[in-house]
Amino acid sequence: MQLDTVKMLEKIKSTQWALADFDWDEPGVDKITPEQWPKLKAFMADLMWIEHVGARGFAAMVKKAPDDTLKQIYHYFHAEEQRHANAEMALMKRWGMLDGDNLPEPNTNIRLVVEWLDRFGDDVPLNALASVIPMLEITLDGALCKFLLETVDDPLCHKVFEKINDDESRHLGVGFHVLETMGHGKAYQLTLKAIGTLLHPKLVVGILAYLPLLNKMRDNIVGLGLTEARLYDAMNKFKRIGGRTEDGRRNPWFKILSWHSAVMIDRRNHWYHRPIDALVRVIDRIPVRALPAVPTWVKELTWKPTA
Amino acid sequence: MLAKSPAKPSVAKTSTAAVTHQVLIIGAGFAGLGCAIRLRQSGIDDVVILERDAVVGGTWRDNQYPGAACDIPSNLYSFSFAPNPNWSRSYSGCHEILAYTNSLLDRYALRGLIRFRQNVCALAFDDATGCWNVSTEAGEVHRARSVIMASGPLSNASFPKMSGIESFKGHKILSARWDHSYDFTGKRVAVIGTGATAIQIVPELVKQAAFVKVFQRTPGWMMPRFDIAIPGWAQRLFKRAPGTQRAVRQALYYIHEFMATGLIWNTPVTRVLQMIAKMHLRHQVKDSWLRRQLTPDFRIGCKRVLMSSDFYPALQQPNCKLITWPIACISPRGIRSVEGVEHVVDCIVFATGYDIYNSAAPYQITGRNGRQLAAEWAGGAQAYKSINVAGYPNLYITFGPNSGPGHNSALAYVESQIDYIVQGIKTVQTRGLSYVEVRENVQLEYNRGIQKRLSRTNWNSGYKSWYLTADGFNAAMYPGFATQFAHQLKKFDVKDYELVRLKTEVTAPA
Repeated sequence: MQLDTVKMLEKIKSTQWALADFDWDEPGVDKITPEQWPKLKAFMADLMWIEHVGARGFAAMVKKAPDDTLKQIYHYFHAEEQRHANAEMALMKRWGMLDGDNLPEPNTNIRLVVEWLDRFGDDVPLNALASVIPMLEITLDGALCKFLLETVDDPLCHKVFEKINDDESRHLGVGFHVLETMGHGKAYQLTLKAIGTLLHPKLVVGILAYLPLLNKMRDNIVGLGLTEARLYDAMNKFKRIGGRTEDGRRNPWFKILSWHSAVMIDRRNHWYHRPIDALVRVIDRIPVRALPAVPTWVKELTWKPTA
Repeated sequence: MLAKSPAKPSVAKTSTAAVTHQVLIIGAGFAGLGCAIRLRQSGIDDVVILERDAVVGGTWRDNQYPGAACDIPSNLYSFSFAPNPNWSRSYSGCHEILAYTNSLLDRYALRGLIRFRQNVCALAFDDATGCWNVSTEAGEVHRARSVIMASGPLSNASFPKMSGIESFKGHKILSARWDHSYDFTGKRVAVIGTGATAIQIVPELVKQAAFVKVFQRTPGWMMPRFDIAIPGWAQRLFKRAPGTQRAVRQALYYIHEFMATGLIWNTPVTRVLQMIAKMHLRHQVKDSWLRRQLTPDFRIGCKRVLMSSDFYPALQQPNCKLITWPIACISPRGIRSVEGVEHVVDCIVFATGYDIYNSAAPYQITGRNGRQLAAEWAGGAQAYKSINVAGYPNLYITFGPNSGPGHNSALAYVESQIDYIVQGIKTVQTRGLSYVEVRENVQLEYNRGIQKRLSRTNWNSGYKSWYLTADGFNAAMYPGFATQFAHQLKKFDVKDYELVRLKTEVTAPA
């Protein structure tokens, strides 16, 4: 069923919330156990950075939206993803996980993805972005956030993630709608276009930064206690919803991502994981001083409810 | 060509006015004063101007915000028939422009014509006498043979309908109704909007306020503005040899005309203009993300092109920040944007534009046989050559539908309109008519042509702007050069009009 994007935009506008809606000093901080704390800190930092990178993805989509309504929706989603990152950072601040007012330190891999997005993000075709983003969102929504809420007892964390999850469900609704509309057309033409895009050097560089990041995060998250079954469930949901219509199934980007997500989760697939893990090790060895300065959009992140 | 009087007089209002003036002008801004000057020069002396304020100046009286200035060179943004050799700058500020309009009062002895504090609320055509009754909010009714609506397209402004706007506890200022008593020193200020007004306000506020946050919805294309002081020798030259100033004016006029080739239509010049604007941005803004935020994603010309050389530098001052997150709502303490942050401010400046009448009339206008202009314009305003509307005899509009320029001085357009209006009024006078009324089919045909031409312009290329109604109808802009606009208005062609002489003629004043 087609989504009414005009109604969706109205709904988005009418369901806004702000960091100032919460009392960040309310009781419940002590629910975080000392054993949990270091793992949670690493998890929240990863989560916050994924949200922020997702926000930049939406910013790129604003420029390519096929109509004005979708353009406005993406504009809101860009800001909402930023809000999620800000709210997660505010939780980290509450739990004493920030070094003063500073941002959580991004790992080298995140830095590379941020750098790539800054340089080439706006050049990636809508089709590719519109497929990757629902996949990442469903992982966030279906696996990571649920895992977090099962692990953390702080009531404020639950209140904040209730709002975040509401937003994410709208992002997913629009995401899958666009995924389907992008699959409209002749399969061979869509496939040729997708292959052409995939082989573009800019995208190849992006993929070389993105795949190791996923591998690294997957391992971190599993290390924290998230079961692989959770990730499989999330990916199956992506396949089920994305493939519910013929147009959706025809979209080659959907096919590529469905295949890739299955391979990524399956640690037994050495053909994929060995070279990617090698890349992870190579990236880890890149000295921080060799990396370019972070772009100014990263500095927009804040845990402060007022400014 | 002379038509018989309408068989059946309709809902004619009986006037309480004792005198029937030959011409009544609504508004004492540039257009109203210009009309009065040219009417008097053509021998029509019975002219009355109704002005809602206590002083003249229209838009330039209302828009006195810090930094308010013209974005068309002063030599072009003045009447050709009333040159001013004393412009102090290439782009004059609002005070100097206002002083120029004031100077017209004495120069052309217009003071006696103006009735101040007369806010018009309704116009009604009296079918029996062929005159207009003009009602004011104070309850007075003025009567005239011809009426010129010179109320201006940008004369009304109001606070935008934003969620929570009433709850804000700080100070609210509307750019078009500036509060000069408010001291910005040490204050935290939010400016909503980045259009032609905001880009002039922000550089001034940054000099005074503690912190300025500029909320942008969509960035506009911006060209550098070469605002320089006019040297004394040039002013003396313009005074002694007016031909030199005319030559400068002509040169500026044709330079702006050339811009039309890129701004109105999508041509290679469009790309060149975009390139210049991008170079201007690149030159002034070093940070790539800020440049991205300030780069428009529509074709140049779709919206008004901004002119400023100090807006980008102002945005990069340590006490200024550009916010491009959408606004979620106004809160008691400030503005909440969608990224979840509440921006706490002492004052919000709304530079959010004007109330545009693309599909409505600014006051109730009842034409022949009780026709209502508001109803007829509901789908988008339409007129003949931007000036006359079928069913509304002897009614003339300045800056009417489809007379907006996207590239040249609005005063060049209004001058053409004024001279056409004078011809129309003279036609009624010299032929002893009751009224002239544009033929419905002529108006229809004219608008069909205008809309067809508009469909090929940048304005109608799919991008939403205030030039278009909610349905995408363009009732604002003229799809051509200023020269073409002037050419079509050169001659008042009586063939396009019904010429009517009523049997029951009222006595015109001497």
